[in-house]
This record gives sequence, structure tokens and C-alpha cells, in this order.
Amino acid sequence: MGEIFDAQLFGTAIRQATPLILAALGGLMSERVGVINIGLEGKILMGAFAAALGALLSGSPLVGLACAVLVGLTLALLHAVATQELRTDHIVSGVAINLLALGLSTYLFRQIIVPREEAGESSVVAMFGAARLGGLENLPVLNALLKDQSWLTLFALVLPFVLLIMLTRTRWGLRVYAVGNDSVKARMMGVPVKRLRYLGVLWSGALAGMAGAFLVLAATGQFRENMSAGRGFIALAALIFGRWHPLGAAGAALGFGFFEALQMRLQGQPLFGVQLPTDLLLMLPYLLTVIALMGLLGRMKPPSDLGN
Amino acid sequence: MFRTRIAPPLLGAGIVLAVLGALVLAAGKPLGESFQIILQGATGYPRGEAFGPLDAWDAVLHDMTLLLLTGLAVAVALQAGLFNIGAAGQLLVGALVAAWVGGLTGAPAPLHLLLTLLAGAAAGALWAFPPAWLRVRRGAHEVISTIMFNYIALYFTHWLVTERLKDPAGDAPQTAPIAQAAQLPLLREEFLQANWGLGIAVLVALGLWLALYRTVWGYETRATGANRDAAEAAGAPTARRMTQAMLLSGALAGLAGAIEVCGAQYRFFEGFPAEYGFDGIAVALLAGNHPALAMLSAYLMSALRSGAYHLHAETGAPKEIAVVVQAALILYVAAVYLRRRRVEG
Repeated sequence: MGEIFDAQLFGTAIRQATPLILAALGGLMSERVGVINIGLEGKILMGAFAAALGALLSGSPLVGLACAVLVGLTLALLHAVATQELRTDHIVSGVAINLLALGLSTYLFRQIIVPREEAGESSVVAMFGAARLGGLENLPVLNALLKDQSWLTLFALVLPFVLLIMLTRTRWGLRVYAVGNDSVKARMMGVPVKRLRYLGVLWSGALAGMAGAFLVLAATGQFRENMSAGRGFIALAALIFGRWHPLGAAGAALGFGFFEALQMRLQGQPLFGVQLPTDLLLMLPYLLTVIALMGLLGRMKPPSDLGN
Repeated sequence: MFRTRIAPPLLGAGIVLAVLGALVLAAGKPLGESFQIILQGATGYPRGEAFGPLDAWDAVLHDMTLLLLTGLAVAVALQAGLFNIGAAGQLLVGALVAAWVGGLTGAPAPLHLLLTLLAGAAAGALWAFPPAWLRVRRGAHEVISTIMFNYIALYFTHWLVTERLKDPAGDAPQTAPIAQAAQLPLLREEFLQANWGLGIAVLVALGLWLALYRTVWGYETRATGANRDAAEAAGAPTARRMTQAMLLSGALAGLAGAIEVCGAQYRFFEGFPAEYGFDGIAVALLAGNHPALAMLSAYLMSALRSGAYHLHAETGAPKEIAVVVQAALILYVAAVYLRRRRVEG
């Protein structure tokens, strides 16, 4: 067993979990202000494309990241305007955004990047290198887990705590709580409901875009069609499994990332003498979320004003 | 009258043409010629040399069959107030079970086909049951649970088709072909994929129209979707109607999968086209969840797909043009027709 459960496996798990944490926390910001966001998947995908294009044209991963965040924000703005101004159904708007991102990213990829590849130019972009840990390098376990990770991963690991403090210890956090639980009452109390909703949805776009950027700028180095591959929906599952709590969502995302890493590591090898089908490991996050929804793991309570 | 009934569809058509035109131009293709090619792919006319009208109708009628069934699946659930995003997963499970039942031997021709289709529908309904139960008994949002069940179906069917039900006669991750007796005949001999499943789909649409608009069951179902509390207060068994609508929805999606197996593919394989389940959302929304209008919107969507595919084949423009147009259409329909009731404090 020693050769399966080593530091490298956990390092891979953290790397796999990074986009899930970012997107799950993005979804959390949106759902906490009462806006259902099943468009995370599309924002990740579009963010990945924008990151690849930005980094390819500029040669700088930072520009790629900025492009990804900008595109995530744009899609989020579309969702915010559709749900808040035009009062469309949150689910329908999310479905449309996912479709739009799938169609547009593939269309633009074939129009802009594929011709370059066919002309013999590389579509591999400059990536973020490993972040330097400074004094932390002396700590044995932490160093083993965090060496060779990009700073986006470190950001994703710190963000849940920052978010928790912001949600529980600031005026803004209390207002978010009020809007998510009873927007009508919040409005009567003078809380700027619409502004908070816009901010929450925009946050989700920025973080989902960043998750997409991670896939290109820190993980693979190039864009591929539909490369988000359902991560937006796993993030949604993590958010629910983590009960709309920053630490819960991040913890669930880490757990789901661990299943992915384990699946990549096992590749048909037996675990504890049992031959586990890889499909079963990939299915586990969704299965666990369904079990959580059944109420077997304690009460599930989404923000009460979700979807209004 | 003009502002409320006539202008919105015209504006919608205008937006579709504008988005389509912009994408064609951005792909660097001439506008007039491209629209002609799209029209040719969508209707088969004018008759081309490399691409006769029969090919276009083969693609359009084949897609229309599946889009109509998945569209009806989404529509019947929405009529009861439930958003079934899980049609893709239900379709996959239905297709796999149909491929298994169709692969058995011994039953005479019409019976074997009937059993295969019914098995696919039953499997789809079964897959829709947990989300329905979770919603009615546990209050868990059906959108979340159906998304989860989509992925569970994806990995579950993948596991079965690569490990348990794989055709022993080859290395490919696919089931053995189904028996001749379980095959649905093609609509015309020259066709490759458009089959009599279309007839089944149209009959289902008409039946659903009657059921939803001419029976007490349909009235109660629609009342539940319009306002569950009011329907409950008026004595309708809302929990039961919601569960039934969801099971029916899953059955229709599963039937779509079974028809694709019996009429076009003759087996289940890795990467089976489950996207039809998602496209059903657009079909249902465009039809305002009305079964009769769903026939029209299923035709329009499949014509759009076939047209975009034809443009791709002829000029190399990305065929995802159809996906972007579909997304724009959903957003437009949602913004104009599907506004939530305003609850302001």
C-alpha cells in the first residue's frame, strides 16, 4: 500500500482539487445571495479558453489569467442581468450559459487556435511555475504536499478561510446572510439586495474563470475542446456536500480531488486486494452527494431564498 | 396583440438569423452562399450533387425523433413544475438496457421489439425515480439530483459496456449487436438512420397532448406545476402528480435511447450520444412545454443542426455554430416568455 498512498498522491489530489475548490467557492458566493448557478461549468470552460488565448498571444500566463477572469465576469454578468433584470429562471439561464460556453469556446478554438496548430505553430502556452514556499519548506509534511504547486493552488487553499471570516465577521457577510435567507425582509431593512446579488454572481464568475485558467496555465498548458469535463458540476456537488459552507465546500472539493488522484494512480491496480473499477471512483463524488441529499448525513439546508 | 403575440416570435427569428449570420461571417464564409448551404442541409433543397435531399432528410428526421422525445420528457416534467436536467442520463440507461434486452434471443419479431422499447423506457423511468423521491420526500432540488444522476449514469454505463456487457467478439467497448427481431425499420430504404421511431415519437406527442389538456390527470399535473400550494389546497395529489410526471419524463428519455439503439445504432457503445438529452431542454422551452408545439420545435432544432453540419461539411466552418444559436435562442425564450412571478417586498 505504501507505494499508492504516498505524498505524491496527496500532492496530485490537491492539484486536482484546485479548480474544484475555486469553482465551488464561486458557486457558494452566488448561492449565498440566492442565485442558483449551474453555469459554473460553462464559465470554467470559457475561462480555460480565454486563458489559453491570452497566454498564447501575449506569452504571459498573467495576461492569460486576467483574460480568464474577465471572461468569467462577463458570463456572470449575463447571468446576473438575465436573472435580476429580466427575471428569467435561474436554471434556464445557467443551462443557456453552459451551452453558449461549449459552443463558443469550441467555435473560437477551431477558428483561432486550430489553424495555428495546422500551420505548425505550438499551442502550448507559458505556464505558472511552482510557487516558492519560503520558510514553510522546512516543515516536512507541508513541504511534501505543497512543493511544485502553483500559487493558484496556494490561493485556493487559503481562500476558504478568508471567505469564512468575510462571511461571519463583516457587515457585508451579515448582509449576504440576510439576502440569502429572506431577500424581502432584507430589502425592507435597507440592505441593497440587488447590489449584493450582482457582487455574489460576479464573484462566482471570477473564481470559475480562474478555475478554468488553472486547467490551462497550471495543469496542462493548452486548451482542448470541452476540457472542463464536468468539473463545474463536481464543484456544484462539492458545494452542496459541503452544505454551502466555505470550509465544507473546500473540504468536499479536496475529497473529490482525492478520488480523481486515486483513480489516476490506481489505473487498474488492486487496492487493499480488491480490483476497483475506475468508473466507480469517478462516480463516487456524485453518489456521495446523492446520499447527502437523502439526508443520511445530517440535515441539508440551502439558503432559503434560493432561486427567487 | 402585435406587441404581445406577433412581435416576440418575429424578433426571436431575427435574433437567430443575426447570430447565425454573425458566426458565419466571423468564420470568414460568404453570407449568402452559407445561408443557402445551411438551408440545403436543413431541407434538402436545392438538390446538391454531393449531398442529395434524401441525406438531409435522413439526418433531420433522425435527430427530430430523438429531440422530440427528449423535448417531451423535459416538457412533461416542467408542466408539473419539475426541471429534469437528467434526460441525458435517463437516455443512456434506457439505451444500454435496450441494447441488452435487444441482444437476447428467442422472442418473435414484433414482440421482441416491443419488449426492447418498453425495457428502455422502464429503465429511464427507474433512473428518474430517485430524483423524484428526493424532491417529493426530502425537498432536495431535482436539478441538482438529476445532474448527479447524469454523471452516475455516464460512469455506470461506461463500466458496464467496458467490463460486463462488452461484445466478446471484439476489442471495441460496445455491446453485441441486437437481434434482427428487435430492430426498428428505417423510414425509407435509402436512409441510414431515420427510422419508424419518428412515428412512435409523434404518437407519444399526440397522446401526451390529450393527457395533459383533456384529462383530470393532466389538469392536476399542470395545476401542480403552476402553483403547488394552490393545487394542494384544491385537493390535487400534488406529490403523486410530480412523481408520476418525473417517471413519465424518465420513461420518454429512456425510450429515446431505446429507439436510437433499435432504429439507428443497433448496439450501445462507449460515447453513446447522450447530448440529445440536453438539447431536449431547448426543444421544450421553445415549445412552451406544449406537446404539439414540441413537434415543430423539434423539427426546427434538428433542421438547424443538420444545416450547420452541412455548412461544416461543405466549407469547414465549425459546426458548433448550431450550439451557439441554440444557446441564444434559449436565453431569448427565457427572457421573453419565462419570467418568474415578481415577489417584491
